[in-house]
Amino acid sequence: MKIRRKYLFYALAFTSAIITAGVSTIDATISARYIPNPWAFGFSCFIVGIFISLIIVCIFSIPVKGRSLGSRIIDPSFKRLRLVRKEELKYHILAAVGNSILTIGYLTLLSMFGDPSTVLPFSQIAILYLILIESISEKNIPTLSEIQSSLIVTFGAILGSITLTGTITLESFAIVFLVVNPAWILFSIYQRKLKLLKIDNRPNDALNIRFWNVVFACMFTAILVGVYDLIVGTGHFIAGITASIDHFNWVALTMGITFFSYVFYIRALGIGKASVTQAVRASTVLFAIPFSLLISYFNIIPPFSTDPVMILIKIIGTTLVILGIVSFALSLVKAYVFINVKPGYPIEETMDKLWSIRGVTRVTVIAGTYDFIVKIRIRTLVKGYERIIRKLEGIEAIKKYKWESVLKEWENI
Amino acid sequence: MINAYILLTMQTGDSEKAISEMRKIENVEKISVVAGEYDIVVRVHVKSLEKLLTVTNKIQMINGVKKTTTQVIEKEISL
Repeated sequence: MKIRRKYLFYALAFTSAIITAGVSTIDATISARYIPNPWAFGFSCFIVGIFISLIIVCIFSIPVKGRSLGSRIIDPSFKRLRLVRKEELKYHILAAVGNSILTIGYLTLLSMFGDPSTVLPFSQIAILYLILIESISEKNIPTLSEIQSSLIVTFGAILGSITLTGTITLESFAIVFLVVNPAWILFSIYQRKLKLLKIDNRPNDALNIRFWNVVFACMFTAILVGVYDLIVGTGHFIAGITASIDHFNWVALTMGITFFSYVFYIRALGIGKASVTQAVRASTVLFAIPFSLLISYFNIIPPFSTDPVMILIKIIGTTLVILGIVSFALSLVKAYVFINVKPGYPIEETMDKLWSIRGVTRVTVIAGTYDFIVKIRIRTLVKGYERIIRKLEGIEAIKKYKWESVLKEWENI
Repeated sequence: MINAYILLTMQTGDSEKAISEMRKIENVEKISVVAGEYDIVVRVHVKSLEKLLTVTNKIQMINGVKKTTTQVIEKEISL
């Protein structure tokens, strides 16, 4: 089935956001009722997560009419459960470090506030970090509209966080800015790098990426919790193992659903830029509200404030998040540039020069009418001239080029 | 495996129907409607040159396709 790339991207990111909101509610319930210790809860999540993820990936590895079940319904790139390749190892370790720290930080916030609709908006501030990192790693200087959108999402998220509790502690801000968000960025960037890798000439699949991330994150969390116990003299390591046995069903439920949330998120990351994916996923803030109301109704978390000022702030906060997402989504220009080169210039050298241009996402050497096809992704057409055309004209080897703006695009999923 | 771009020139007025036909063809990875000298850029992923010929033939048979130019990919860098 081929659907428009844009729709696929939004469908994946929104599905992931809805699932995340639901999972946070389960997490809040477990944290309030069964495992209040965030270190033990985090560790137990990864221990149980390995078993659950293994079962899910094995089920999806079952072949159905020549293709695996996972390939048919989850990710077309998936064949079967496989071992980690050498080229993936570095990225898996870094993504796992991020996931491990992020999980413990998030569960610490959840144990402090209880209400997922307060905790989730905090993590959306990660978008600011992502914009910065994309500027460095993906040769893409953020445009004014990107900065505006990310600030709108950030302020909306902060307002959304304040309203339901009425207060914000300095400690929670420190956890958000110094622990949760940097860890989320590390996790997000390296998950994206893993998704963009080619394994056996096929795009890497989200199911194997998620499974191995849980395995590596479990190892790193064991080290982290163990070292913390040794230094501080606590017993979180044993508490984590005990919690994973005593509350296996609850933790299995949250990890089972989280698996799908991340698989959809990883697939979305492979399609769009990390910051745009994060922006769309920010809608989880809205989806968390009905879930929070539900657990508040059952007295799992304290009841919400009915103060009209608080409600107004909440409406402003959520509106800003939506506006930020929409302005992100609506500004993207893509184009192909067909290039002919002069004889006497090495192809490799020209290829490197083209690749070094900001906004170039793909450089292809071809045999046919042209010598190169370059794919461009920029925020505005003005940038297309300033950033691309002027740079192309500066490359001596280029004889002539043709610019073809992409109006619509479909991709095989 | 062979990857290729097929650049299409279309007859005016038939592109919508032609795109939906193209979307049904196996091995077609991506279809981009473009504004410029060409009308549509199709990216295909096939096992052999023979299979590439089959895909090109299928595209050429679609009503509204005026001309196709195939560019076989030799090397690629992408994000």
